[in-house]
Amino acid sequence: MGTREKILLALIIISLALLAVILSFGALGAVPLKTIRPLGSFYLYFMANNNIMIQEIYPSITKPSDFWAASTEGVTAILWDYRGLDTLFETSVFFFAIIGSVSVFRYYSASLEEKNKKNTNNSSINTKTSDQGLSLIVKLITRINFVVIIAVSASIAFHGQLTPGGGFQGGATLAVAPLLAIAALSRYFVEDVGLKKNTMLTIRTLGLLIIGLLALAPLIMGLVGGNPYIMENQPKSWAMFIGFPSFGLGVLLGSLAFYNMAELLAVGAGFTVVFLLLTLPEEFFKKILSREVGEQ
Amino acid sequence: MLIELVKTIIFFIGMGLVGLGAVFDLIGALGLLRFPNFFVRLHAATIGAIGGAVYPLIGVALMAPSLESFGQYRWYLMGGAIVTALFIVLAAPTGSHALARATHRAKVVPVEPKVVDHLEEDKG
Repeated sequence: MGTREKILLALIIISLALLAVILSFGALGAVPLKTIRPLGSFYLYFMANNNIMIQEIYPSITKPSDFWAASTEGVTAILWDYRGLDTLFETSVFFFAIIGSVSVFRYYSASLEEKNKKNTNNSSINTKTSDQGLSLIVKLITRINFVVIIAVSASIAFHGQLTPGGGFQGGATLAVAPLLAIAALSRYFVEDVGLKKNTMLTIRTLGLLIIGLLALAPLIMGLVGGNPYIMENQPKSWAMFIGFPSFGLGVLLGSLAFYNMAELLAVGAGFTVVFLLLTLPEEFFKKILSREVGEQ
Repeated sequence: MLIELVKTIIFFIGMGLVGLGAVFDLIGALGLLRFPNFFVRLHAATIGAIGGAVYPLIGVALMAPSLESFGQYRWYLMGGAIVTALFIVLAAPTGSHALARATHRAKVVPVEPKVVDHLEEDKG
């Protein structure tokens, strides 16, 4: 070991020792509290559904269900009341992103099959699905995984109100299945299954519609009945419409499960549309664009 | 009594599998460093994926029923571990197969040193 290495080693040891001393005296900031902060205990009391404790702290609450988050998961409990509008605007951002990319590829049908039907004399393109894609091993495993991925994404979304997960995560997982199929099998396989551009667009519009209706339903019902609240995912027993958690407690947890299902549709189908459009051959796309501009 | 014994034995088999996974990861890492060309190194990487991920996951699935403090969540743990293990068993070899085949067909990497090359022989 040369002198350089010895000095380097000594420097590393000295700096580590210094760091240890600094850390053990708490010089990098305040030492974390050993007790729960007031805000934390507030959320914990309401989240854990400990009704007797709530009544001890807030004797004015007569009914234990007045402030009931009704969720077993912390993040969901805190976001609960905002969940509907949160999901609506979050999905709207995604919706407009997809609409933008669809408008770039603005022609009616993005189907390769129909294109090949039109010019059947073009023998260089083989339309038989079995002849496309990677080797037999990859194709077989992709067919198996196609089903597995869809099942896993459904479990992520449909169980999202109880365990970590949710609609967006489930939808993003769902979109991996067609992407894999496009890469390993071919675009024709995906179109054969029925995942076409316009079908997918319809599905995701349906998902967004369900989310919008669910999010605005409490407001509309409150406006009709009086004493309305914009966000009524958390039960408000004094309001006309008590709130979504008043049904399906324990399993569905109010509106959450429905938001997750609709979000799964919207996000999964949205990503699939983009993947379908991005895998179009460039000549096919350019030909239609030039026809639109008028440069035949 | 007998059930407890069987449970303990299964738990220790699971622990053994997790330990075996660490060994396979080490072997895979050594192979990645020592093997001479791309195709053999790909084999070493798959050792890390199958031996280093699938065996520990099966081990976790065997250990999970004994973890009574987890309550009902231990069954979620077990199911998740089994499904993930199955998925990796299917996906990892397929992935390295596709990689190796594509590399061979594109002739990106020379097969050097070569003992046998059946793909090239098949092509003639």
